[in-house]
Amino acid sequence: MPATTASAGLDRRRARWAHGFTLAALAGWGVAGWLLPPYLVAGPDVVAVRALKFFTEPVDALHLAVSFFHVLASVGIAFLLASVLALMNHYWPVTRIMIQHRWYPFLNSFSGIGWAVLAVLWFGPSHLTVLFAISSTLTPFIFVNLREGLEALDKEVLEMGESFGRSRLRRFRLIVLPSLYPFIFAALRIAFGVGWKATLIAELFGTNLGLGYLINVARVEFDGATIFTVIALVVVIVYVTDRYVFAPAQARLSRHYVDA
Amino acid sequence: MRRNLTARVLAEGSVALAIFGWWAMARTLPDFILPGPWDVLKVLVRLFTDTAFLGHTFASFVRVVASVLAAMLIGGLLALLARVVPVLQWVVMRRIQPFLNSFPSVGWAILAVIWLDVSNEAVIFVQVIILIPFCLINISAGLDEIDAEVVEMGRSFTRSPLRLLFRLYLPLLTPYLIAAARISYGIGWKLALVAELFGAENGLGYLMVRAQYTGQTSVVVATCLAIVVIFIVGEKLVIDPLARRFAAR
Repeated sequence: MPATTASAGLDRRRARWAHGFTLAALAGWGVAGWLLPPYLVAGPDVVAVRALKFFTEPVDALHLAVSFFHVLASVGIAFLLASVLALMNHYWPVTRIMIQHRWYPFLNSFSGIGWAVLAVLWFGPSHLTVLFAISSTLTPFIFVNLREGLEALDKEVLEMGESFGRSRLRRFRLIVLPSLYPFIFAALRIAFGVGWKATLIAELFGTNLGLGYLINVARVEFDGATIFTVIALVVVIVYVTDRYVFAPAQARLSRHYVDA
Repeated sequence: MRRNLTARVLAEGSVALAIFGWWAMARTLPDFILPGPWDVLKVLVRLFTDTAFLGHTFASFVRVVASVLAAMLIGGLLALLARVVPVLQWVVMRRIQPFLNSFPSVGWAILAVIWLDVSNEAVIFVQVIILIPFCLINISAGLDEIDAEVVEMGRSFTRSPLRLLFRLYLPLLTPYLIAAARISYGIGWKLALVAELFGAENGLGYLMVRAQYTGQTSVVVATCLAIVVIFIVGEKLVIDPLARRFAAR
């Protein structure tokens, strides 16, 4: 009991320090924004006013919505591609060297910005360009997670499943897929975070809509308010989604499927 | 044995087929859309042999290595701070780390140019700040895994903190330091292109963007492939042998 009390006390002090640090960082940003010109540092007040426009002005809202579409659609496409690769790699051992030692290292080490530049040359500025560049960047991240999930499957459970039924599809749906849920979720969680960063890079070259396009125009025009607001929006979206949506959901899934 | 041979044939065959497909497509398309494998190979070789190109490759290489080392040092110090001063653990792991992790790399690249102008410092700043969370996560995981009983035993042999650091903590942390170096090296090379996009007057990223503007697609593709080559060679020749050496211990 005393140990629990001491631990709770330490957690309270940690929380106080963490909140204090957040306030100090915001205050430091505020002071910097007040002392320096907006193109060097746009303060929190300027960013708050500019951020509001993303929810009130139709043009800004469209840029935000387009970036959301690019992220979600690319995560979907990359998930599909990575699933095919991971399943081939697992169920068709003859393809393992090809996928794990040829295609994966190539995809993993090819720069996201390289895909973006090439996609612009191949497809011109379009949604297809952005989706191609982001999906190519995300596929290796998702593949690694799914491959680990398939390798971690419990052989005894699979054997037991075989004794209950001969249908491979039914065994996949009822045994393999539920065992993969924590890994699928981890893959989607990573892909969502990386996807936002890759989207800004892809939109920088590949389209005239989206937050990446907006930040590039703001860079050329020395519009510090927009630069800081786009960065703040991405940080908030990624942080809040990860902390309050993905993390609790993944903890629940892990408890249900791994600890059970 | 036979299955292994088939797997090898399939692997190498897929690479050969991809190159053949690339060659066949390049024949029907203009050079600025898709240059052929031979043209790209010639530029790729020049990136490692021609002095003008080699300068760009070397500049990026030096920046990546310097950034990886700096990020490991800062990430290691932050991880150590969270460990040595327990009340600061959430400041490091729940404020600094998630903030740095969610900050877009393009954002850092643009801010670095605004704050530091076009310079080496701007590029290294971008790479270091993006690599810090990766090093921080790996090194804190290593610190969490250190067995308290081993530390206690070490303390019974010596009271010198430096001796404990070099003889106990660092050897136990080595696998995690290597993991941090491996991840940072890979990401560092991909980041080099983003960091050098706006903030450099040389380097592979600068070369790639200049080639894009002038329609030299063979240089764009060769630059991307040069990074793949440097990444794989660095892993095989430096990081893998280091990992094997310390795993053997």
